[in-house]
Amino acid sequence: MSYKLNSFSRGAVCATLLASALTVLMPAVSFAQTTLNVAQRQDPQNLDPIDTFSLSWGSIASNIFEGLVFRGEDLQLQPGLATSWEFLDNETRIRFNLRKGVAFHNGEPFNADAVKYTFDRLLGAEGEKGPQRSNYTSIKEVVVVDAHTVDFLMERPDPVLITKLAGYGAMIVPPKYIEEVGEEAFDLKPVGTGPFEVAEYTPTVGAKLAKSDTYWNGEAKVDAVNIRFISEDATRIAELLSGGVDIALNIPKPSVETIRENERVDLVAVDGPTVVITRFNTETGITQDPRVRRAIALAIDTDAIIESLLGGLASPISSAQGEKSFGNAPDLTPYAYDPEQARALLAEAGIAPGTEITLDFPGNYDTFREVSQVLAAYLDMVGLKLNVRPHENSVYYNDIQPNGKTGELYYFGWGGWTFDFDNTAYLLYHTGERQNAYISDEKLDALLESQRTTYDTDVRRKALQDVARYSYENTLDLPLYNEATLYGVSTRVEGFVPAPDDRARYMNVTVK
Amino acid sequence: MSDIKPKTSWFLRFFISRYASFEFIVGTFLTVTLVLLVLFASILFPDGATKVNLAARLTEPFQSSEFFLGTDPLGRDILARIVHGGKISLLVGLLSALGAVVVGTVVGLYAGYYRGWLDTFVMRFADIQLALPFILLAITIIAIVGPGTDRIIILMIVSQWVQYARLVRGAVLSLREREFVQAARSYGLSNTKIIFSHILPNAMGPLIILLTLNVANNILLESSLTFLGLGADPQTPSWGGMLSEGRNYVQTAWWVTVFPGIAIMLTVLGLNLLGDWLRDELDPLGHTR
Repeated sequence: MSYKLNSFSRGAVCATLLASALTVLMPAVSFAQTTLNVAQRQDPQNLDPIDTFSLSWGSIASNIFEGLVFRGEDLQLQPGLATSWEFLDNETRIRFNLRKGVAFHNGEPFNADAVKYTFDRLLGAEGEKGPQRSNYTSIKEVVVVDAHTVDFLMERPDPVLITKLAGYGAMIVPPKYIEEVGEEAFDLKPVGTGPFEVAEYTPTVGAKLAKSDTYWNGEAKVDAVNIRFISEDATRIAELLSGGVDIALNIPKPSVETIRENERVDLVAVDGPTVVITRFNTETGITQDPRVRRAIALAIDTDAIIESLLGGLASPISSAQGEKSFGNAPDLTPYAYDPEQARALLAEAGIAPGTEITLDFPGNYDTFREVSQVLAAYLDMVGLKLNVRPHENSVYYNDIQPNGKTGELYYFGWGGWTFDFDNTAYLLYHTGERQNAYISDEKLDALLESQRTTYDTDVRRKALQDVARYSYENTLDLPLYNEATLYGVSTRVEGFVPAPDDRARYMNVTVK
Repeated sequence: MSDIKPKTSWFLRFFISRYASFEFIVGTFLTVTLVLLVLFASILFPDGATKVNLAARLTEPFQSSEFFLGTDPLGRDILARIVHGGKISLLVGLLSALGAVVVGTVVGLYAGYYRGWLDTFVMRFADIQLALPFILLAITIIAIVGPGTDRIIILMIVSQWVQYARLVRGAVLSLREREFVQAARSYGLSNTKIIFSHILPNAMGPLIILLTLNVANNILLESSLTFLGLGADPQTPSWGGMLSEGRNYVQTAWWVTVFPGIAIMLTVLGLNLLGDWLRDELDPLGHTR
């Protein structure tokens, strides 16, 4: 079938085509607006720094806010909104010299008043409503010295404070703006000093960020970042593969192959903060005996688990921390796979072949569900029958683990964005911690407490390494792996540096 | 049935008989195959179902005779797991339906025969229970008592006896007024004897139909609950658990979920066809629905 057009309609068609071509071309030619499209799993539901501890907040707000201290993807602490700091009065007072000529997105100047307001708000009634306040209660008060100098008066020593000033609750907020618009409006459209400002935030849908023209430390390379919340893993991956988004966060392990096989998308992995270990019940059952614990540790081939089950996207660990963690002891090597030795130790401890032990874990963690069955297979080879017992999440964390109702083995997964072993070690080994039902050891308590009262990094590092070494020698835990943080990045994207802690920053990213 | 036996071969007789129906042949074939596989599971696959073999993880199907239907993310043989998994499905399906039918029938018989406060109480209780969504009830109870196959069976009995009780009670209400029951009563038979020897046999038809359909339904339910992580523990192979474990791999390894899915489908289909055939047999006029 063929159509013949008369001259009038031919002209009309041409005009239409031309017009549509122009409308398509025009934005590209005249505005050259570049937008980076990002997809992440979760909506933080609130952009206010003091109202959240969600990683999904970090991957948006690290582009909007800044702290006195800056910590980038290499995890080194650098001057941020403060140019320098010093410890005074026997380390009870920390003086921060503030950067001059910095303004919030709304034009309000950044100065000592803003810093004081930020911490008064965090430590006051408004901060009490959120989860961030408890991380900063070592600060007694912030005192304004002059317009560009503040003093932090300390309630007690807090060696991790400087790190904590680089994130979350310590992000500097504008006093006038909050007074003007109110707390609720600030939750949805906050103002910071960072390289991007919030153009639009729609809960459950996404956040649109626009380049800030007044940023003090250079200029973002894209004009806008469009972050969408796509909770369904398969949908987020599909958007990445089809080119709908340029960067996808929170890549689940089973999708790794799909991304690796696609040539327009790269998989970017970096060691994350989260470690997965199984802990021993050191109080009852056969795991009271350190020889049995060591035997179990030697019976597991963690390298094989990492290589095959986790696709190589995790690192072996010797204690409950990754290589990047402050307090990691590099001289400790992960327990080597040695089933012979394991069998010998079990025989020495008088454990009959076929003895049954139990592993408890929260059942909704798919990867560990698989890992647990591999553990069972390995233990079977040395003559231990491992029963795996999954629990409903809240039952596990509120009852089984804190109340010591576990079997001989139980799951523990943890990682703080501070990458400081204090965070994990204290709640694993200090007597009376909620999630530590079994271990009470004077030596560990003393080590853990000693490093909390000094700012001397060498002393602290040694104390934390000693904790790791003590745990290793007595096989208090069976360290499994340090999970990688995974990003799917389109090959059109350049300059993206993956953040280990999910606090992705888009300032230096370009899109071809 | 018939006393006249024409001299034709058994083969021809079979095909002109009522057993020649599509439902009967396919339904029997599927169900018998399943039962045989399950009965001989440990002989067919002595240790294949739980043996982890990381070197052979996610082997594609139809490539080797060792792993005919491929392997799952832990390198376990999917065919062996399906056959062993059938044990759980069949066990849960049969035991829960049988348990419910026994409890429900007894309650229904007594409630319908004696009426009075027992009837009112039991039936109001049944109404309340029918209003509770099963999955919600299951999630709540499992959260309290912990997961396990035995608990699933008990949970199903507790929530399903109601259907049988209502069905039986309905039948008893009309049967108890019938002449043969009155005759039995005037004959001086005890109530228990009347209930179990005269009323129950006449209420059996719909009961058996409901039973077959419920077995199929419960196999599906068990799969759903295990899929949600409420059923069998991860080491025990079960069809729902296999689906649950495989769903993250759908894009790269379809066989991990597709084959257990087909197993569930064929089993439920077989039992449903048998149920349909039984309904036609026991109630050709369609009195019961």
